[in-house]
Amino acid sequence: MSVWNYVVTAHKPTNVTHSCVGNFTSPQELNLITAKCTRIEIHLLTPQGLQPMLDVPIYGRIATLELFRPHGEAQDFLFIATERYKFCVLQWDVEASELITRAMGDVSDRIGRPTDNAQIGIIDPDCRLIGLHLYDGLFKVIPFDNKGQLKEAFNIRLEELQVLDIKFLYGCAKPTIVVLYQDNKDARHVKTYEVALKDKDFVEGPWSQNNLDNGADLLIPVPPPLCGVLIIGEETIVYCSANAFKAIPIRPAITKAYGRVDADGSRYLLGDHAGLLNLLVITHEKEKVTGLKIELLGETSIPSTISYLDNAFVFIGSSFGDSQLIKLNLQPDAKGSYVEVLERYVNLGPIVDFCVVDLERQGQGQVVTCSGAYKDGSLRIVRNGIGINEQASVELQGIKGMWSLRSSTDDPFDTFLVVSFISETRVLAMNLEDELEETEIEGFYSQVQTLFCHYAVHNQLVQVTSSSVRLVSSTTRELRNEWNAPSGYSINVATANASQVLLATGGGNLVYLEIGDGVLTEVKHTQLEYEISCLDINPIGDNLNHSQLAAVGMWTDISVRIFSLPDLNLVTKEHLGGEIIPRSVLLCSFEGISYLLCALGDGHLLNFQLNLMSGELTDRKKVSLGTQPITLRTFSSKNATHVFAASDRPTVIYSSNKKLLYSNVNLKEVSHMCPFNSAAFPDSLAIAKEGELTIGTIDEIQKLHIRSIPLGEHARRICHQEQSRTFAICSLKHQTSAEESETHFVRLLDDQTFEFLSAYQLDPFEYGCSLLSCSFSDDSNVYYCVGTAYVLPEENEPTKGRILVFSIEDGKLQLITEKETKGAVYSLNAFNGKLLAAINQKIQLYKWMLRDDGSRELQSECGHHGHILALYVQTRGDFIVVGDLMKSISLLIYKHEEGAIEERARDYNANWMSAVEILDDDIYIGSENNYNLFTVRKNSEGATDEERSRLEVIGEYHLGEFVNRFRHGSLVMRLPDSDVGQIPTVIFGTINGVIGVIASLPHDQYLFLEKLQTNLRKVIKGVGGLSHEQWRSFNNEKRTADAKNFLDGDLIESFLDLSRVRMDEISKAMSVSVEELCKRVEELTRLH
Amino acid sequence: MENSSPSSSPPPYSPTLSSSSSGASKFLSNLPSRGFLSSTVLSSNPGGIRVYICEHETLPPEDQLIHTNQTNILIRSLQLKKQKGEPGPKDANGSNAAEGSRKRASEKVMDGRASAKRSNNQNGPEGSGSRTSDKDLYSLTVERLRVLLKERGLSPKGKKDELVARLRSANG
Repeated sequence: MSVWNYVVTAHKPTNVTHSCVGNFTSPQELNLITAKCTRIEIHLLTPQGLQPMLDVPIYGRIATLELFRPHGEAQDFLFIATERYKFCVLQWDVEASELITRAMGDVSDRIGRPTDNAQIGIIDPDCRLIGLHLYDGLFKVIPFDNKGQLKEAFNIRLEELQVLDIKFLYGCAKPTIVVLYQDNKDARHVKTYEVALKDKDFVEGPWSQNNLDNGADLLIPVPPPLCGVLIIGEETIVYCSANAFKAIPIRPAITKAYGRVDADGSRYLLGDHAGLLNLLVITHEKEKVTGLKIELLGETSIPSTISYLDNAFVFIGSSFGDSQLIKLNLQPDAKGSYVEVLERYVNLGPIVDFCVVDLERQGQGQVVTCSGAYKDGSLRIVRNGIGINEQASVELQGIKGMWSLRSSTDDPFDTFLVVSFISETRVLAMNLEDELEETEIEGFYSQVQTLFCHYAVHNQLVQVTSSSVRLVSSTTRELRNEWNAPSGYSINVATANASQVLLATGGGNLVYLEIGDGVLTEVKHTQLEYEISCLDINPIGDNLNHSQLAAVGMWTDISVRIFSLPDLNLVTKEHLGGEIIPRSVLLCSFEGISYLLCALGDGHLLNFQLNLMSGELTDRKKVSLGTQPITLRTFSSKNATHVFAASDRPTVIYSSNKKLLYSNVNLKEVSHMCPFNSAAFPDSLAIAKEGELTIGTIDEIQKLHIRSIPLGEHARRICHQEQSRTFAICSLKHQTSAEESETHFVRLLDDQTFEFLSAYQLDPFEYGCSLLSCSFSDDSNVYYCVGTAYVLPEENEPTKGRILVFSIEDGKLQLITEKETKGAVYSLNAFNGKLLAAINQKIQLYKWMLRDDGSRELQSECGHHGHILALYVQTRGDFIVVGDLMKSISLLIYKHEEGAIEERARDYNANWMSAVEILDDDIYIGSENNYNLFTVRKNSEGATDEERSRLEVIGEYHLGEFVNRFRHGSLVMRLPDSDVGQIPTVIFGTINGVIGVIASLPHDQYLFLEKLQTNLRKVIKGVGGLSHEQWRSFNNEKRTADAKNFLDGDLIESFLDLSRVRMDEISKAMSVSVEELCKRVEELTRLH
Repeated sequence: MENSSPSSSPPPYSPTLSSSSSGASKFLSNLPSRGFLSSTVLSSNPGGIRVYICEHETLPPEDQLIHTNQTNILIRSLQLKKQKGEPGPKDANGSNAAEGSRKRASEKVMDGRASAKRSNNQNGPEGSGSRTSDKDLYSLTVERLRVLLKERGLSPKGKKDELVARLRSANG
């Protein structure tokens, strides 16, 4: 890999951190707005359900999200504050369908200690001010003027240093906050303050309450007429106001989120750490609170946010499991639950670990993640591209073409499958046993190759061979009419639909026939100047049987032409450029837009938008799909039309939001495809590949496919073993008994079915920390090695751990040997046929020794001290790269002769690492806890020892995501001869459920894309006025520096979503054609 | 060391629903409804969400680019009091006076910086003029006085009184 890296998101964040409901997109419309760390999603509530509207990237990590309604406004505004101290107020412009920035600003202070607890951003219910608690001891106020405009912000000193929550109280003459805080004796209290805007200071508030529940962590302000505040503790819930105090005990629980049900605030939904949903009711007589009631409703995912939508529907946003849409039923179900889960929204976060495997052994990587936490833990299998689920297959060599035919015009299903070979044509049909069986259509020529076949009106079938066009009855299967090619000419290419036939004979002759009841009529004949290479008359207008236009691809001048039918007048001629002839053309229509697709002999595909009335071709775009000629064919799946491009890299072309998307099909090489929708195999495709005819159904048409394996426990490490075809995981199960306890396991799973095969329970307090599949020198067996730590409550750092070595016998984990260590085994690596372990501050190498009695043991060989905690270790050859808890990356080397490990170089920055990986011999990548990525380089050519001992930082980038793991590998099938096949990639997984790809680019490509990125920054503006440059700048407590040697692939790939005008702008600035830009960016999208 | 879970592992408890919880029904009636999500057949399509690409200018109106008032909280409160013409926390009652004295204490802590700022900040509400009073000189540390003397090419030796006297004579 290289210094020049391209970072792109393959799977967007799915961890829902905030949600709110309000009239955002119009005064009448009700919206659910969710925040997924760096993105917000706007949904519309409709009678039919939640309708997704918009996915908005935000240049920052969202710390707070609030909807509010300034005075005199008809719809709500959205307030967003980011973790890097920026805020913005957004308004939806109904007419332009755009987000407008009403206000924005920087709310950072030069001095001030960032709060340990989350940042707080709140808005006064009467819209007098915005309050922010970002630094200990400071409360920032952004006042509104009476026109709803924001004024200069100021800080107020807040005496309480350990703030847990702050909310505005309702119904106060002066804006009043209520502060939940902890004093230096760890007791918790609430206090109220009035904000005196004129004096820019606090005034003692109307009431306070001391010595609350020790677990009190959440305040819920109660709206008028009741007013006051609810204080949610772990064992009690308290209602408090100036003149009332009510408390009820609850079952011990940590309340993670709340959602207000009624506008008057009499009912609330509370979700706790175990995913139990409770209803809290404030009973009151008129405006006097008489008591509190709490009722358990049922179980959901562990919530991070709860939004009551409408009509008993509730959105549960989760960080630890899938987010859900639930309904609260009036009557409990059989299990006593009032909660009905209607929909689950996939969440991969937190991805704690993952591995890249090729389970189908097709060269197609899949990522298996340890996702979720606690009871919502799961494994997720993430796969790129569209899979074909094989239903039946037969061995058939040399297929030259395939068409499916119906036995009558109005039959919804296909009956026949016509398969053409170089010198014969065979017909397959489904027999009564639903088997594919060879049959015969008497009227067809079977001794020659078929050029085209189609069913036709009046229960007829059409077959085109090199000599003639035959019209056959589909009921009697007998020939009804035949059109013969003029003598001396043979038909080269042909196409047909239900009522028309277009064919080309040698010498550039183009012949148009129409199909009647038992007659074929030659309607028009014209001669073109060159030979014709391909044709299409797929009907895309209103008439499904008849096309107004014909597309023709030409040899010699390399053009594609549009002719009108039936008069064969030339409408449009488009030169394709280059020397590669078009091999397949297709007229098709997606989402109401008509396109002409044109595939070239070298695997490139051009697409144009086609004006059906004028025949005009616009918006030319070019992509590279493979390297071999492509054959295009339409098919439909789930009532939508898609295009299958058969080639060495089969691709499905589909449209989403009026943009063409290309998704690869997980098959190696497909020569022909035709839809085959038979009664036995509905919605299936017939696919000719590698000497085989396969019938199968196709996956849902989308890019990433995710399968969930719920575990009911939290998986923390995963590893795949090719030889035993198993996965091993380290997991922990939280006991659901009254005692707080968790049990740790090593589990073995089948890599196909994901069934638990075997489990090994670790000792009490023993955690599985690392997992490795490896073999040792002088031993042919493959083992799973597990590193553990005894985490005792009284110890700060573990002082004891174990390395366990398991073999797999009859699908069971068999403990071969164990070795006690003097600390936690944070990492295990296979190293020169030995085992390299990172144990607390030490790197330790173990030999695999055969004892006299034939048993095996791990024997310590050598070690290296000098780390705070060696958490992440990667090896390459004799080099060892260590990611330290707080001392960044260091490079060690193992010296064979001396049998010793020595430090070679280190990065002297104080980065707190979260993952490391070796990109190549000299370049290592690391991620740290301020959400940055950086690369360092070994300086072997340094002149002095001092220089050589320093790892030079060469790349820096703010990812905005906490990376838990890097792994070499790819999500897409890598073809050795394709352009992107040469680009090495690393995959990473993050807490928010992001799967990302880091690709190392050649220098010239990097420079090109860097220029493109600079130009894109000018065109694509950050929502809310946030700056992309600032967002991507490396940032930690000590310094901020511009990103270098990393490119933001998400920004670059959004080029494809730009309007044509903007594309032209960029094209002009770059002096590169739009077509070329599209092609190069499209290629990059194929990395993930 | 992955950051997947809150630092303290929460105590789980049994999710079995007790018989008493059947009372939830009466609280679940009359849930608010505005007519949305009313169809019995709900359809939603999480896959097809459009990604927003912002091509228009996103900077806010000029006066809505919000900054924080950079004045030190303490100085600001003093300025506000001066503007109001209040002499200080004299008129305040007991509790406020206590607070006032504590504030004064913290003022002393910040003395050095505050005075440095004040000397830069001559456009304050009540300009201290060009007069460098004895008090001002005495409020400076000896080291600071020595620096000032050095700047004027005078001897930095001697006791504080001498230094102040020397400076005063130099300032004329």
